[in-house]
Parts: sequence; C-alpha cells; structure tokens
Amino acid sequence: MNAPNRSELFVLEDGEKAVEILEDTKIPNAATIKVVKQDHTLANMLRAQLLATPSVLFAGYKVPHPLQPYFILKIQTDGTITPADVLSQACNRLIGTLSTLEAKFKREFSFKDVEGAVVSEDPYGVPSTGGPTWAGGRDYLDF
Amino acid sequence: MQVNSDLEPTVRIRELKKDRVNFVLENVDLAFANSLRRVMMADLPTVAIDTVEVVSNTTVLPDEFIAHRLGMIPLVSTNCDEAIRNNRDCTCESACEYCAIPLSLNVACSDNRTLDITSSHLQYDPSVFHNESGEEGDETAKRVENFGHPVGKNDPSVPPVLICKIRKGQELKVKCLAKRGLAKEHAKWSPCSAVAFEYDPHNKLRHTTYWYETDSRAEWPLSDNAREEEPPRDDEPFDFNAKPQRFYFEVETDGSLGPQEVVMKGLQELQRKLAILIHNLKAEQEPELNGALSGGGDPGMDQSGPQIWGGGWGNSAATNASPAAAGWEGSPAVTGGAAGWGTNPSPAGSGGWGTGASPNAGGWGTNGSPAARGWGSPAQQASGWNV
Repeated sequence: MNAPNRSELFVLEDGEKAVEILEDTKIPNAATIKVVKQDHTLANMLRAQLLATPSVLFAGYKVPHPLQPYFILKIQTDGTITPADVLSQACNRLIGTLSTLEAKFKREFSFKDVEGAVVSEDPYGVPSTGGPTWAGGRDYLDF
Repeated sequence: MQVNSDLEPTVRIRELKKDRVNFVLENVDLAFANSLRRVMMADLPTVAIDTVEVVSNTTVLPDEFIAHRLGMIPLVSTNCDEAIRNNRDCTCESACEYCAIPLSLNVACSDNRTLDITSSHLQYDPSVFHNESGEEGDETAKRVENFGHPVGKNDPSVPPVLICKIRKGQELKVKCLAKRGLAKEHAKWSPCSAVAFEYDPHNKLRHTTYWYETDSRAEWPLSDNAREEEPPRDDEPFDFNAKPQRFYFEVETDGSLGPQEVVMKGLQELQRKLAILIHNLKAEQEPELNGALSGGGDPGMDQSGPQIWGGGWGNSAATNASPAAAGWEGSPAVTGGAAGWGTNPSPAGSGGWGTGASPNAGGWGTNGSPAARGWGSPAQQASGWNV
C-alpha cells in the first residue's frame, strides 16, 4: 500500500546526486563518500580493492539501513593521494581485472560446446495433452 | 592484502550445458567473486509478464493467483538491454511495442477431460496495445525472432510451464504485458534460477564452524569441489594469513538468458557500474577543484603527522616493534597495539581498528577478522561497517 516503489532501489531520482564526497574534519586525509542507488555488490568489491592499495590506511563501507538504497565508504590515505583519487584508481584497476577476466571467459566459452541440450523428462510425470476422461462420460453439466 | 594483486585472474569452465555453466575462478578476491555472483543474480535485465488484464476467469484459481503464476514464467530475453527499453523511460502513455511485449491467453475446455493451461498457450498478440507508440527506436530490430515468448515454446524437448488446470465449461481469457525489469525489483526478472558458490571446501580458513556430535570430519560429507584441493594434514598449523583463492561457481539459468550471456553480461554490468562511479566522482570533484580536495592533502598529515595524534602512527619498523598503545600501524610489523588502528596483518588489540587480518574483538575489523561489534568484517556485519 504505502510501500516505496521497488525501482527506487536502483533508479536515480530527478536532481539526485549519484556521489557525494564529504571530507572528514577530524581525521586527516580521510573522506566519507556516499554512493546513491548502489549496494554491497559495488561497495564490498571497492572496499577490498582499496585495502589492496598500499597508500590506503583505512577503507570500510556500510549500508546504514537496508531500506535506504545507498552506501557510504570511508577512506583514509597516507597523504600521497586524496581519497577520491584513490577510489577512482581502484575503480580503474577493477575494470582492468574485469576486462581481462571477460577476455578469458570468452576464450573458455569458445572452446566449450554446449552439451546435453535435451531435457528428456516431463516434470509433471504426465503427458501435457490432458488428463484421463471421467468415468461414465458424465460431467457436472449433466446434473 | 598483496595476495591477489600480483596474480592474473584465471577461469576454467568445467561444464557447459544449455541451461548451466560450472566454472572455477582463481586468483581473485573473495569480495570480487561475490560481487560477480550478486550481479548475475540481481542486476541483469530480462523480460517478464508484469501487467495482467483478466477478461474472463472461470477457473478454480483466483485472478491474482493466476497473475502471479503468469509473472513467474520465464520469457526469452536475449540481448534484453538493447532489444527493449524500460517502460518507465518510454514516452508512450502506458505501453507500446518498444517497451512491452503483448501476450494473450485464451483457453476454454469443452471436452470431458481435464485441460492443462500451460505457457505454450500464451500467444503474441499486438491487439493488447491501445494504439499508441513511444518515440521511434531501433529496439524492435535488435530482437531475436522469439523475443518475449515463453521459454521452450514450439520446442517439444522443453516441457511447458503449467499455469492452471480446467475442466469442461471453464475458461481463462487474459491479456498480459511483459516488461523489462531487474531482479532487484522482483525476483521474476532474475535470469538465474540458482547460483552455487563455494570456496575452501576443506574449511582450512575456518570461515565456518561445523556442528558435530563426536567428529566433524566423519559426520560432514565433503563437497565434490574438495577433490580439486589438497586436504589439510592433521599436523598443519592454522594459517591465519591465508585468503580464499579459488571459487567454484555453478550458474543455472531459467532459460530466459543462456548461461554464457549471463556470465558475460554480469562482467559487463560490473564494469558499467564502476565506470559510472568514476564518471560521477569526476563530476563531483570538478566544482571543488580549487577547494581542499585538489591539494596533496592536509599539510599536517605527511610523515610528521604522528606527533599530532597522541599515540602516534608507527612509521618505522622500530616503532612497531614495541606494542603501540594507541597508535596506527603503518608498516607490516607484528605489533600488539592495544587500541591501535592496525593497518597490517598484526594481532591488533581488542579496541583497535584492525585493518589487517587481526582477530579484533570490538574494533573496526578491516578484513577477515571476526569483529563482533562496531565495524565488522563482511562475514559478520552485526551493527556496523563492513570493513
């Protein structure tokens, strides 16, 4: 009834900012980045990639509420690079990994032929042309 | 944390069938593999019946019951992101040939037998549209011949999906509109019926604990994937720096997309998400180019920073050799920081922000650490951050 439209989970509203960068005032070289209309799929992958970067001191994310479709990512760097830059660097690395993987998948798929294309069994165990005729040839319309 | 970066990711397809693919993914991060799994399940567009207009229903099932069953029928969705546009983005009034697939069902039983209404009775029927059209597009040209038709229609090897059973004198007449959507909105739009995902079949990493009566090894059967990996020796010490390296996937589709398309589209969708994020980051930074973000950072935050921060950041191995009381470890040395931010695989103490594989109790565990409260690890996100 009053449930929010499910498409609000992934469609950006009019005038809504997709990304907000909030610099941390108390922690040096740190920023909190709010990414709207994205979930753990993107956030956790970025977090892992950031932690693999030597210049990152801290990286963590949270989805503050499961009904609110955004996550916040907190990054602290060692000062050689800004948190926003290190994030776009991490994105680029991930895109690189994904495209090499894509090429490898393409290769693998071209080697494999589809086997066993035939599904032989009827899941209902009955021929789908119809059930047995009722006994005596009578039905409820005769009553 | 340097484990995966130096090795190229590899993939090996073990089995490819019409509706499933089984592959092994190696040298990637757990988070990466999990994102691939998530994106294949929930972020790929397909078409499914979304609006149903019931003209006549004298079957034993109520209208909403049948509407729900119709929605779950997999429809051929090959090349969905080019072959159909989102209904909400279309300029038409309600639905048109570019943003919807018209299907109708008209079955009546006049014999003395039970008649099965199945997905094969669904007919492509443009009369469902109300004579309107959105902005011209090339979507219809990019469709395969049976786009939007029930999976396996006119194919005797694929049994049709049963919708309802009717007897003599009953009929079902409905008009349906199939629309494009994502599984985030409703699971009927998911191209996958199941995605199996496994790593570390011998539980060497102890990411799980098995319940047992006397002996967990005797009571828990090993999965088939265990044959791919060395079983642990009895005297093997626990390697707390080890990370999962090898991931076993089995992607099973409902037929709306082929398994190959699901995997490839999944990888592309992830890249698209990242590319959009890069773009938005740039757009967000540009107005602030003259602001604080443009510089190399706070002047107080270079190597001279530690003094400002009470406990100090350990920047040299010498500093880290002693248990830093409230410091941030910056180099890979084993320290016993009591309330420090461990940035390396050090057993940081109980109240610290562990960034390494450290067994934190209540800190900000940054990976693989069983953080109970606060900023938890992805495995255990109790009330805080997935760090």
